[in-house]
Amino acid sequence: MLMTREAPTFVQVTEIWVPDGDVLIHAGGNYAGKDGFAESSVRTSFAKGEGLPGKAWAEGRPVVLKRFDGSYFLRAEAAAEAGLTAAVAIPVFDGDTLKAVLVVLCSEDAEHMGAIEVWEDKGGVLVLNDGFYGAAQEFEFVSQHTTFSYGQGLPGGVWAAGVPILMRDLGKGYAFLRADAAGRAGLSTGIGIPLPSPTDSTYVFTLISAEGTPIARRFEIWDARATTVGPAKEALLVDGLCEVEGPLWSGRNPDFDAPRAAAWRGPVGQVLGTGLPFISTGPGLPAGYGSMVALPVYHGGELAHVVAWYL
Amino acid sequence: MEKLVVIGAGMASGRVLEHLFDAAPGAFDVTLFNAEPRGNYNRIMLSPVLSGEKSAEEIVTHDADWYARHGVATRFGERVTAIDPARKVVTGENGEVPYDKLVIATGAAPFIVPLPGHDLPGVIGFRDMEDTGAMIAAAATPGATAVVIGGGLLGLEAAAALRLRGMEVTVLHNSGHLMNRQLDEAAGYLLEKDLARRGIKVITRAGTERIDGDGKVEKVVLGDGTEIAASLVVMSAGIRPRAGLGMAAGLAAGRAITVDAQMRTSDPDIFAVGECVEFEGNLFGLVAPLYDQARVLAKTLLGEEDAFVMRELSTKLKVTGCDLFSAGDFAEGEGREDIVFRDPARGIYKRLVIEADRLLGAVMYGDTADANWFFGLIKDGTDISEMRETLIFGPAFQGGGGPSADPLAAVAALPPEAEICGCNGVCKGTIVTAINGGAQTLETVKAQTKASASCGTCTGLVEQVLAVTLGAAFEAGGAKPVCGCTELTHEDVRRLIKARELKSQAAVWQELGWTTKDGCHVCRPAINYYLLADWPLEYRDDPQSRFVNERNHANIQKDGTYSVMPRMWGGMTTPEELLAIAAAAKKYDAAVKVTGGQRIDLLGVKKEDLPAIWKDLNDAGMVSGHAYTKGLRTVKTCVGSDWCRFGTQDSTGLGIKLEKRLWGSWTPHKVKLAVSGCPRNCAEATCKDVGIVCVDSGYQIGVAGAAGMDVKETERLVDVATEEEAIEWSTAFIQLYRENAKYLDRPYKWVAKVGLGWVKEILSDAAERRALNARFDVSQSVYQTDPWAALVTEEERKSWSSPLMDMSREAAE
Repeated sequence: MLMTREAPTFVQVTEIWVPDGDVLIHAGGNYAGKDGFAESSVRTSFAKGEGLPGKAWAEGRPVVLKRFDGSYFLRAEAAAEAGLTAAVAIPVFDGDTLKAVLVVLCSEDAEHMGAIEVWEDKGGVLVLNDGFYGAAQEFEFVSQHTTFSYGQGLPGGVWAAGVPILMRDLGKGYAFLRADAAGRAGLSTGIGIPLPSPTDSTYVFTLISAEGTPIARRFEIWDARATTVGPAKEALLVDGLCEVEGPLWSGRNPDFDAPRAAAWRGPVGQVLGTGLPFISTGPGLPAGYGSMVALPVYHGGELAHVVAWYL
Repeated sequence: MEKLVVIGAGMASGRVLEHLFDAAPGAFDVTLFNAEPRGNYNRIMLSPVLSGEKSAEEIVTHDADWYARHGVATRFGERVTAIDPARKVVTGENGEVPYDKLVIATGAAPFIVPLPGHDLPGVIGFRDMEDTGAMIAAAATPGATAVVIGGGLLGLEAAAALRLRGMEVTVLHNSGHLMNRQLDEAAGYLLEKDLARRGIKVITRAGTERIDGDGKVEKVVLGDGTEIAASLVVMSAGIRPRAGLGMAAGLAAGRAITVDAQMRTSDPDIFAVGECVEFEGNLFGLVAPLYDQARVLAKTLLGEEDAFVMRELSTKLKVTGCDLFSAGDFAEGEGREDIVFRDPARGIYKRLVIEADRLLGAVMYGDTADANWFFGLIKDGTDISEMRETLIFGPAFQGGGGPSADPLAAVAALPPEAEICGCNGVCKGTIVTAINGGAQTLETVKAQTKASASCGTCTGLVEQVLAVTLGAAFEAGGAKPVCGCTELTHEDVRRLIKARELKSQAAVWQELGWTTKDGCHVCRPAINYYLLADWPLEYRDDPQSRFVNERNHANIQKDGTYSVMPRMWGGMTTPEELLAIAAAAKKYDAAVKVTGGQRIDLLGVKKEDLPAIWKDLNDAGMVSGHAYTKGLRTVKTCVGSDWCRFGTQDSTGLGIKLEKRLWGSWTPHKVKLAVSGCPRNCAEATCKDVGIVCVDSGYQIGVAGAAGMDVKETERLVDVATEEEAIEWSTAFIQLYRENAKYLDRPYKWVAKVGLGWVKEILSDAAERRALNARFDVSQSVYQTDPWAALVTEEERKSWSSPLMDMSREAAE
């Protein structure tokens, strides 16, 4: 089924905050017509520890906020007017240096199925730190009671491999009760991303998309490590899935002909050039898509991967 | 329109049809049989489907619409039972189909090792979508466990995939390292380490004995009795061509259907392609040559000229996060040279194999950025003599004599933020700042920046930064490295083997950044000793890393014969032993010499007679005297209080007890002991490595004596009252020496380096002495064996004198 741009989506708003001296300032976003919230956002800045982005910066870890009322969320009033009820802030660290904070905002209602999760290393196993699941309540409950060992499941696989992984058909064929719950919630495609943190903890961030209310209809994983592409600021498309084009991988082994992105060229190239997350609603996107989010992943002092998702 | 029948809808035949339809649409009326109930899919992507990283739909290459569009009559799920070349018909389960031209593309089947229990439900190969589906279904049970038999490409991909699905997975591999057909030992070590990080257990040198279960698979049993629970057993022990159909039709065949360079079989109208063919003695398993065959076959069918030629292959493991690449021929051989690059901090290993200025093979782990470039050099046979010095750094460092052609210039070109010391995160800029601030030696840089202060593998790089920054003012040097393979000293290596728990030679080469593939004749014996001394249970002694006398369990003499010396405990013997020795001397025409160590040496024994004389002496109750080892030689004694009027203690008895406790243990150099029954010192104990002088009040233990090139009196370690204490202290001293000394340092040299005060301080602690004795016991549980008795059968004894020896790995004299 090919979704239209007007179909309901799990994530309503995505925005980028970058450090400027002592504060985080607005550096772009896709507000999908929620103009009031957009206007209040561009005028805002956050000190370290202030508001949701500031908290993610201060604590050096992803932060999930499922209720705005009475919380530290500074734009609660504008968010309420826009129908936004929950948010996740994902700090992008290169070692101890904060590069940016990506914030995604969602609406909780009976329709929206999906999962945005933060898994944390707790002495040899990954446990759920927090997550936003929309209406996928059974999946949320099971996830809260699931742990993953090294190499097991999407979070454990990402944790062990140290690279982003895109998985299909999450609802069947796994030795986890969580897989059955995912299947019942229609959650099929998941992308897991290792999130470096200046704290002692290891985090894995997952986006799990349902067909009815997708987080994205196209996912891409780009490998930018020097050990893969050499010294140039480039990246290879190592995996991807698209509702329009189908598989985005070549099927050859070794894959010498994988699509290559270069710094400053195209949306992924912006991430390679700036080293920062990038949000685009403009030209240059693949046919059939109106928006994209690209998240850089740092490892060992270099921009290692770029994960991009499109709607 | 010619009738073309194709048997098998695999990757090779799919590519044939694509070429045919592109070049001459409508030229053939095609009927396609496939035993699987579906058309063509990308079989090499079954592993990602198994892991969940691809869906089954994604890997379909030719769907029903494609076949319909090209007018292909598909007979999927129908097995072909016979080919009649005389009538030119193919018989399927649902009837006959005539052909003008026939293509056999029946592929290959997984080889199921015929172990007892191989036919139990739950034992499957890994070949097609059905196998993949069965494994996915098996994984969907909480607590499910899998054993993968075969640590090759496909087996490891299956293991990683099943682990991702949530199973507990064990890989059994019969060779010494994983993917031994594609990787060398060093890369295999890194791969095993990577898989362990994913929670996959790997057992190499695994002799699988049987598969057990009551009506279904329950466990796998190894030859040593180990049992591994398994609800699924994946057989991944290679493939066998499915050539039976062609053979039954009378086509010429060897291990598979024989084809010529046009992919024609012995029948001019029958062709074969893919894994079911044999070309010039070669079988095929990787997809690249299959696609070449498909191109050739399409042209042959269209009457065009083309010829299939063998070409170099490359491969990559499809396990996300495992970056390894291998191409060409990387076996060792005369005239071949290695260029090796290691970056232990980042887990990188690269090895190039060169012969006659051509790159023959490449193995890369952790850094595959230049894989394509290296593969091109291999395929093209490029002359690499001009770029040899910097070849390993890849194309970025080739520039025709520019600054990048000089290895030092590569360091000069590094930006200030480039990390030099991975352990302490010290970048080049920090080091340069320290140098400019006055730190002009390695030690001062180390002290100020911590660069090279941990594992030390970046020492060379730090020295290069010093050289680049200071120019001629910098003089490299300092402690002497083990050999040219490393910048590290013996002391560094010993410390790091312990601290980083390095338990194999491959681990040492990689983690300590050895610049050669697997060491040299200088370092290998030392590393072999350090590993077996520190990890007696985990490490397996490598005879190839031993001196030739140690390998032969005998000392070679100047005329090429050997000496044989049985052990005489404490210098005591019996008439029966002497008779046996005399008989052996006569039988093997040996000269007889009484040694200074109170033993009898039989000289002039031919190499081929060694196993036989050992057996004769074994049969008389004697064991090897280890007169050739870096280990305990003798414990010399006097007759002691039993016989001597001056004897204060039972020196002979103590000597025998010490020898029986210590024999067989490997040490950094040879070790000699003596026990004298009184201060008159008839056993000459005061010039031994450990010498005990008995006195009325007990035992005076001296250590670190010498009576060879250097002559030195022992130094008093301690005085003790009882025999038990004397044995405990002596053993603790030997174990401390075993654990800390540099290889080929006798105890007196080692004590001179560390100081007797330090030795006393350690051994004065009763708990420490007990611990040292306990560790010695563990080591002896493995190594206190008689090498003469290792040759049990007549056959073993006969074959011993001409052992297959890998001379390239032979340790030096």
